[in-house]
Amino acid sequence: MNAIAAALALLPALGAGLGMGLATAKAVEATARQPEASGKINAILLLGLALAESTAIYGFVIALILQSKV
Amino acid sequence: MSTASILKLVISAVAAVAFFIAKNYIKHKPDDSIEPKKKKKLNRLFFFGLVLSVWYFIACVINEISGGPNGIHVEFDLFSNRVSLFGFSVSQTTVTTWCIVAVITLLSLIFRLFVFPKFKDIPKGIQNVVEIMVEAADNFTSSQTHNLSPVLGEYIFSLALMIVGCAAVELFSVRPPTSDLIFTFSLGLVTFILINYFGIKKKGFGGRIKALASPNPIIMPMKILSDIAVPVSLACRLFGNMLGGMIVMDLLKTSLGGYAVGMTSLAGLYFNLFHPLIQAYIFIVLTLTFINEATE
Repeated sequence: MNAIAAALALLPALGAGLGMGLATAKAVEATARQPEASGKINAILLLGLALAESTAIYGFVIALILQSKV
Repeated sequence: MSTASILKLVISAVAAVAFFIAKNYIKHKPDDSIEPKKKKKLNRLFFFGLVLSVWYFIACVINEISGGPNGIHVEFDLFSNRVSLFGFSVSQTTVTTWCIVAVITLLSLIFRLFVFPKFKDIPKGIQNVVEIMVEAADNFTSSQTHNLSPVLGEYIFSLALMIVGCAAVELFSVRPPTSDLIFTFSLGLVTFILINYFGIKKKGFGGRIKALASPNPIIMPMKILSDIAVPVSLACRLFGNMLGGMIVMDLLKTSLGGYAVGMTSLAGLYFNLFHPLIQAYIFIVLTLTFINEATE
């Protein structure tokens, strides 16, 4: 039962992957349009990726907590 | 020792010696008897063979000693072990962190005593590197927080040094302190204290309450909750990333056994160097963003 719960807790990875893909696609588009702004775009992209990634990380942490014997 | 393992050792050792002799033979052969292009090619081929057979020999020796790869079972605890130190039971994270702090302090003392007095007006060599690093940290901090405090740059620099140093410890196969939730949560708590300290210092206690109650007092509980969630989310982000990297590295080490010689150092470039740098950057950017938000 714990294993199923842990697997379900990793569902946020789906949303995080989609979101990170969308963000990266837009960043590539923006860099293609304005290559001189790539530094700023990079910084913003990294911040956004970190925020999008955090949902997946929360799921991962919860799965670990469910799996390990605390 | 079984016959097969002895055979493996002997074959790899013989191959290594043969490749070495062949490489030397080709190297000292006169140029007119062989084309230079072919010579270079053969030289490269024998060198590759030598590296491969030496790697296999070392892997076989390590497998003989440690018992070889043992499946894909990774045992790990969410919290680090307790060790007994002078009769006190302390967490292993604490001990590792003390070691890292000692190393960083020693390095900075050496810098202060032996390198700084030699600094000149026109920078040269290592002075350039130090100046670029300090200036980058200072400029980044002041541009993110609009010249809030000169102390913040130093804190940010030491924070980055600490997170990267913690990850570098894993190269010596010690559990990194950043993969302990308590350590990362204490870093997040420092951020929380800084947010409130600068918020209250800049706006006063009433102003901070007013900022929480704007635009409508009804949403004040929500704002307080989201403020409390900041250290938790920072801690969980760093912890999850570092623990994930550690599990991948452990999986590589245990499933490859002795064959992991040299392999993990390649993967370690990403998981112990690049990934912590990105995470330190994200931690710093988020800290500065929240501080800036509280003081605006």
